[in-house]
Amino acid sequence: MNAIEVSGLAKRYGELEAVRGASFEVAAGEVFCLLGPNGAGKTTIAEILEGYRTRSGGEVSVLGVDPAVGSRELRERVGIVLQSCGVQDALTVGELLEMYGRYHRRRRSAGELIELVELDAKRDTRAAQLSGGQRRRLDLALALVGDPDLVFLDEPTTGFDPQARRQAWATIRALCGLGKTIFLTTHFMDEAQTLADRVAVMRAGEIIATGPPNELGGRDARPAEIRFELPDGWTLEQLPAVAALERIAEGRRVLIRTDQTIRTTAQITAWALEHDLELAQFSVSQPSLEDVYLELTGEHVADEREQIEALQR
Amino acid sequence: MNEAPATLRRDLGLTAWQALYEQRAFWRNRARAFFAFLMPIMFLVIFASIFGKDTISTRDGLPYNDFFVPGILAYGIIATTFFNNAVSTAILRDQGVLKRMQGTPLPRWSYIGGRIASSSITTLIMTALVLLIGRLGYNVHVRGATLAGFFVALVLGSACFTTLGIGIVRYIRNADAAPAVLNFAILPLTFISGIWFVTDNQPAWLRHVAEVFPVHALADALQYAFNPATTGAGIKGNDVLVLGIWLLVGIVAMIRFLRQPLGEA
Repeated sequence: MNAIEVSGLAKRYGELEAVRGASFEVAAGEVFCLLGPNGAGKTTIAEILEGYRTRSGGEVSVLGVDPAVGSRELRERVGIVLQSCGVQDALTVGELLEMYGRYHRRRRSAGELIELVELDAKRDTRAAQLSGGQRRRLDLALALVGDPDLVFLDEPTTGFDPQARRQAWATIRALCGLGKTIFLTTHFMDEAQTLADRVAVMRAGEIIATGPPNELGGRDARPAEIRFELPDGWTLEQLPAVAALERIAEGRRVLIRTDQTIRTTAQITAWALEHDLELAQFSVSQPSLEDVYLELTGEHVADEREQIEALQR
Repeated sequence: MNEAPATLRRDLGLTAWQALYEQRAFWRNRARAFFAFLMPIMFLVIFASIFGKDTISTRDGLPYNDFFVPGILAYGIIATTFFNNAVSTAILRDQGVLKRMQGTPLPRWSYIGGRIASSSITTLIMTALVLLIGRLGYNVHVRGATLAGFFVALVLGSACFTTLGIGIVRYIRNADAAPAVLNFAILPLTFISGIWFVTDNQPAWLRHVAEVFPVHALADALQYAFNPATTGAGIKGNDVLVLGIWLLVGIVAMIRFLRQPLGEA
């Protein structure tokens, strides 16, 4: 059974269409990620699924229930980490976990959760005194206090330093190990790549691509890219004829796109050996998720346009 | 079949727990506890020390203290119920705590019930302290005969200002603006409602304005119950009526605030 089913979801604020006909499913036990730039509508969808916002159209089912009805049973089974959300500042970490724990029929102990999010040293510290990263970890612990089947994480690592992010990722992966379904929103590509089983890319209120991170936008089927630097005294014309779709030289740097990765690589390395050449910065790679994402969302186009406009000013 | 009463019992238990957590949080926030709790007591000591020997000629020589102790008690009830609930609710809303609570299985009435219970506990402690200081320091007290009137005023007044305090948050855009809005709503009324000084000589139109609002009704009801010359149970029907009407207004305002969706920005 699917944990989440969404079809034709729409949300309008007056003239503004924040979400336009979004459809997707999240299987039980899956880590599903909504990826997109800020303002694409990720949080709007997350908050509709969490029951905080009403929808203008479409069908939504979360754990078999319509979240707009707001049933208590659903809230017993769902844990939510909102984007920015305070706690009762005067209470300590331990007290908060105990207090929120009481609301649930099924619950995990404060000690266990404190250990999971590594706040052992802060158990008796008031929430007001926690750092940003510690607060975010407390948020996660509070979302897990009812031992939920489904966890919503809305941009869980925004504002983290790299080490804190890796820690958070490890914790989230540990959750997957427990069989939880996780619904994640992020604008970080590496986060989606690292954590998600499936990714849906959003742009301007629409889902424009869905799939596992490695297959997104036909990424796995795309031509590989071979890069290297031409040695001094050699030109692009002197390269052997290889099975390439495209050959581009930029100064001394060469980029070859090919759908016959092994054959082309072999041809080039054989040619280099024959002439006893060392090819600096030699690499073979598939297009990264970032390349695909930027292409899909059209962000690089916008960036370039901004740069041109800035230069013209 | 047995599930509904069991759930209700469990939710009442949760409400009690919530009241305890709210109390703990309240007393840890020294600044807020000071404003809601110690201010009225400070005013009591200051005003009673300055005017304590005066009598009020327009009220048959009633000692000023017999007038002022119940007046300051009314102010204390307003501070602990109306101010305290409005400011803390506005802060909790702005910080997203209300939104977080909405995502938990705790029923909303349990949460609000717990917060109201907590502010009622604070109000009771403050009331006991004012009564004690009034009795020991200024020989002011409620006689057994008018105890009924005192309790009616205390309960009705607390309920009225608690619901109004939560309901008014709907009209407070952000927590920073809360003290300004609340003082604007209440402070002028305290001056024309006979909390700090006797208003018997103020113009009739001003008196009529004051009599519409619950500040005057609460102060007057308590002063009536405290007055040694009062005969009967100490219940003044007019004040009870005004407080009752404002309680209804408060309940409607509170429900409207609580029904507001918190997710829509």
